Amino acid sequence: MAHEFRLPDIGEGLTEATVVRWLVPVGGAVALDQPIVELETDKAVVDIPAPHAGFVLHHGAAEGATLPVGAILVVIGEQGESWSATATAPRRAEVKAAAPIVGNLEEAPDGDDDRFKALPLVRRLAASMGVDLAGVTGTGPGGRVTREDVEAAVGGAGPVERVRMSPTRLAIARNLTRSWQEIPHVTTFGSADASGILSERSRIGEASGRQIPLEAILMVAIAPLLAEYPSFNASVEGETLVLRKYYDLGFAVETAEGLMVAVVRGVPGRSIEEVSVDIVELAAAARERTIAREDMRGATFTLSNIGAVGGGHGTPIIPYGTTAILSVGRAAEQPVVRDGKIAIGRQMPLSLSYDHRVVDGALGREFLGAVIAAIEVRG
Amino acid sequence: MTEMNMAQALNDALDVALSADDRVVLLGEDIGVTGGVFRVTDGLHERYGPRVIDTPVAESGIVGAAFGMAIGGLRPVAEIQFLGFAYPAFDQIVSHVGRIRNRSNHRFTAPLVIRIPFGGGIGAAEHHSESSEAIFVHTPGIKVVAPATPADAKGLLLAAIIDSDPVVFLEPIRVYRAIKEEVPEGHYTVPIGEAKVVREGSDVTLVSYGAMLRDAGRAADALEADGVSVELIDLRTLSPMDHQTVVGSARKTGRVVAVVEGHRTASLASEIAAVVQEQALYSLLAPVERVTGWDTVVPLRRTEHHYIPNPDRIAAAARRTLAG
Amino acid sequence: MDMLRILDVDGSLIGESPVDLNEARRLFAAMVTARVYDRKGSALQRQGRFATYAQFEGQEAAQIGAVAALRPDDWLVGTYRDAAAMWMQGYPWDALLLGRMGDERGGAPPVGVNVLPPSITVGGHMIHAVGLAWAERMKGTDRIALTLFGDGATSEGDFHEAMNFAAVYTTPTVFLCQNNGWAISMSRAGQTASETIAQKADAYGMPGVLVDGNDLFAVLTATRKAVRRARAGEGPTLVEALTYRIGPHTTSDDAGRYRSDDDIADWRKKDPIERLRAHLRSAGAWDEAWERETEEAASAEIEAAVSRAEALEPFAAEGMFDRMYAKPTGALEAQRRLQQGDAS
Repeated sequence: MAHEFRLPDIGEGLTEATVVRWLVPVGGAVALDQPIVELETDKAVVDIPAPHAGFVLHHGAAEGATLPVGAILVVIGEQGESWSATATAPRRAEVKAAAPIVGNLEEAPDGDDDRFKALPLVRRLAASMGVDLAGVTGTGPGGRVTREDVEAAVGGAGPVERVRMSPTRLAIARNLTRSWQEIPHVTTFGSADASGILSERSRIGEASGRQIPLEAILMVAIAPLLAEYPSFNASVEGETLVLRKYYDLGFAVETAEGLMVAVVRGVPGRSIEEVSVDIVELAAAARERTIAREDMRGATFTLSNIGAVGGGHGTPIIPYGTTAILSVGRAAEQPVVRDGKIAIGRQMPLSLSYDHRVVDGALGREFLGAVIAAIEVRG
Repeated sequence: MTEMNMAQALNDALDVALSADDRVVLLGEDIGVTGGVFRVTDGLHERYGPRVIDTPVAESGIVGAAFGMAIGGLRPVAEIQFLGFAYPAFDQIVSHVGRIRNRSNHRFTAPLVIRIPFGGGIGAAEHHSESSEAIFVHTPGIKVVAPATPADAKGLLLAAIIDSDPVVFLEPIRVYRAIKEEVPEGHYTVPIGEAKVVREGSDVTLVSYGAMLRDAGRAADALEADGVSVELIDLRTLSPMDHQTVVGSARKTGRVVAVVEGHRTASLASEIAAVVQEQALYSLLAPVERVTGWDTVVPLRRTEHHYIPNPDRIAAAARRTLAG
Repeated sequence: MDMLRILDVDGSLIGESPVDLNEARRLFAAMVTARVYDRKGSALQRQGRFATYAQFEGQEAAQIGAVAALRPDDWLVGTYRDAAAMWMQGYPWDALLLGRMGDERGGAPPVGVNVLPPSITVGGHMIHAVGLAWAERMKGTDRIALTLFGDGATSEGDFHEAMNFAAVYTTPTVFLCQNNGWAISMSRAGQTASETIAQKADAYGMPGVLVDGNDLFAVLTATRKAVRRARAGEGPTLVEALTYRIGPHTTSDDAGRYRSDDDIADWRKKDPIERLRAHLRSAGAWDEAWERETEEAASAEIEAAVSRAEALEPFAAEGMFDRMYAKPTGALEAQRRLQQGDAS
């Protein structure tokens, strides 16, 4: 078998070599590692030893000729074997005209291309909305096209104002989103005759000289029911339902920043007056933004009295970490059937949202019925 | 004009400098009688005798002595045999050469040139294939030059020798004998700090230097065959970098591929990307692509080709910028 | 400074032989084997199968003689020109060949072979032998470390630091300088103005010994003494083995540019193999057939190793990403993905 031996780079970056002298003629026998040719490179004159034993079939170049690295130097095979050259692709030093120096771009634009003066994010938005940035006038710093410019360019939507949400609003948004996404809500509606509870409020208020929020009486009325219906005073932690044996009741406070929940601790056993003091103080602190974070954490059940802003039924969102919330609307005179006759009652709309993972509809109704009874028994 | 390869062009530049200016002195290992391991100083010892000095094997000594000679009024051109052997001299370069002007408030200056062959691709032994030029670019007080062609090599070396500040002059090993071109005769300079637009185009800019420029050119050929118009820039000087040419081209094409042989992290390609985003962000149509060597030791001969960027990798990166 | 010589240039014994005839024959065979490898190395480079190769012809006695003084578990820290010494201390031919072919597995001798991969840069490795020896002493072993280097390396600042540390901390290190007359084109006279390299030891506070580096008995005797001293906790020694680099610096060098053939002819007369052969012949312990058999056996062993090394599949591209840290960093993993994406 004929072995084609190509000229290797024998000197760290050489590209060619010149044949000084063949030491073995074509047809001559050669032993392994026997010097076969003397080559001159840019660095030295060297002997090249044969990589195979056999007979020299072909010299790649005549003495005095220069071969590029990669070209066939010598072919060694069996005695009398025939060999013919096939296509080769030797590595050759490139000869080229001196590269023309096109210039140093002194004419280069001294500013960015106005057509594209938009951040990558905005460009992506423009592409997704089909807006050609070349037609948009930028209103940002230095004439930069902003997101708003792109949205305005879509046309038809009319003027808008964009306001960054406050940190409190963002926190509320995060919490509500979390509750809404994780908790399967069910809301059950009902109404209670509020005549008794309202007269009780007036009476205690006059007697004590204090403001008695409706939530105070409702909390005192409902707290005992939570012991009876523990799944409404609970939280879901992974696969565990945590039934709380303490009763810290939250109530919603309307503030300039949005709705917040403040917490009254250990409601059972406390008087309506005591609970009232807590509620009034906490609500004031919440509105003034001086409320401690601890006073807004850890409610086990929540009341939301929307009576102040009118309000009938609603679908309140359960605060994350609890299983139920009761929304109370403003009491209004309505026809009611009492002892088989139509009468005028002061009906208070109630909306109970609960976590459907842990509370079935029937139990929800039953609990709301118990709440109604607990309210109507007051007086 | 004579056709020369880069080794011959550099030899010619040194010959011109030695004959024109008695202050020019060469020193390094094996640069005298034997003409240097790459034969760049071939014949100069015969012509200039004691001004072409063979030194003991001591890189720190070579640079430190050249530094002293430069302060003393000579124009030394030191040679380190391979970039991988320059590290013993690094203390001299960083702690002394790059600082003397500053620490003496211009009272002392060190206008020396340190010639160092760099880059791989010749299947040499370990430490002989380094492309750690970013280390020198990161060093304040020195200029860093890396020619890609014989004519530029001569003009830049002559410019480096007359420069008032120290210059690390990096010579691409695998280009020494790979390209021949017409080189002007006599003394001429190519200005330090100016890049060259090797070819003009409108779709994508390839920025490179040294040995990688040839591969970037091959990638450009392949891209142009597909109808992509490529602008190819040879940085020529790595420090100070010619921002105007690079940024101008980026603003024109909106797409930039930086091609370097050095390790990827904190490479010249990183610096090119930083400069382009600072000065041409609004013109960019795609992220700046880096085609680099990896953050590995350069593999030995058998697998070195996995390390050094090749035209296919460069063209693929250019196509990524065109895709989005 | 006197030079220790035990075998005269003509092979006659002029001192006390450090070994018996059987051991002398074993060491002679080792020198012959090393020279077979050296010549094969040059041929492989010229055939494009080796990267650059640094020949050691003429230095066989310095390398084989020095390592013959070691215990198999002692450390050896040498250079790119020390293949004979490395092999003598247990570094397999396969690994030596792979290293020269450009494969990182060439730097990994088997566990139990305490030989570092050869230093490619000049001079940085000598201090490693100080650290290794120091570590052995701290661990309570009596292993020593031998470092080999050339006359050129003594000009690097690293030489000073290594010598100084070894002497100050009395580490069990043996410094063996193969003064082969040349650092590429720089002659010994141009390298240092000292009359000898051995005398430099004096300044560091350690013994320095000059020996005929082409006399295997002299090298072995001096190194053995230095090794004993080190093992006994008495500190380092510098041995200068005066020898000659018969070949060029490497296969990339043309020594004809800077030295005359006459010098080489003079030194060929002092050839270390010829010298020991003459001694063995006169003692009736050598015949031509035995030497030829030794050469043929060495050649067969080395050719087989060449075949194995060339048959070993080169690393895949991702090998380089795995060799950098115990666990590749995130950046390297990202680059690996990029590299493979590019490759596909």
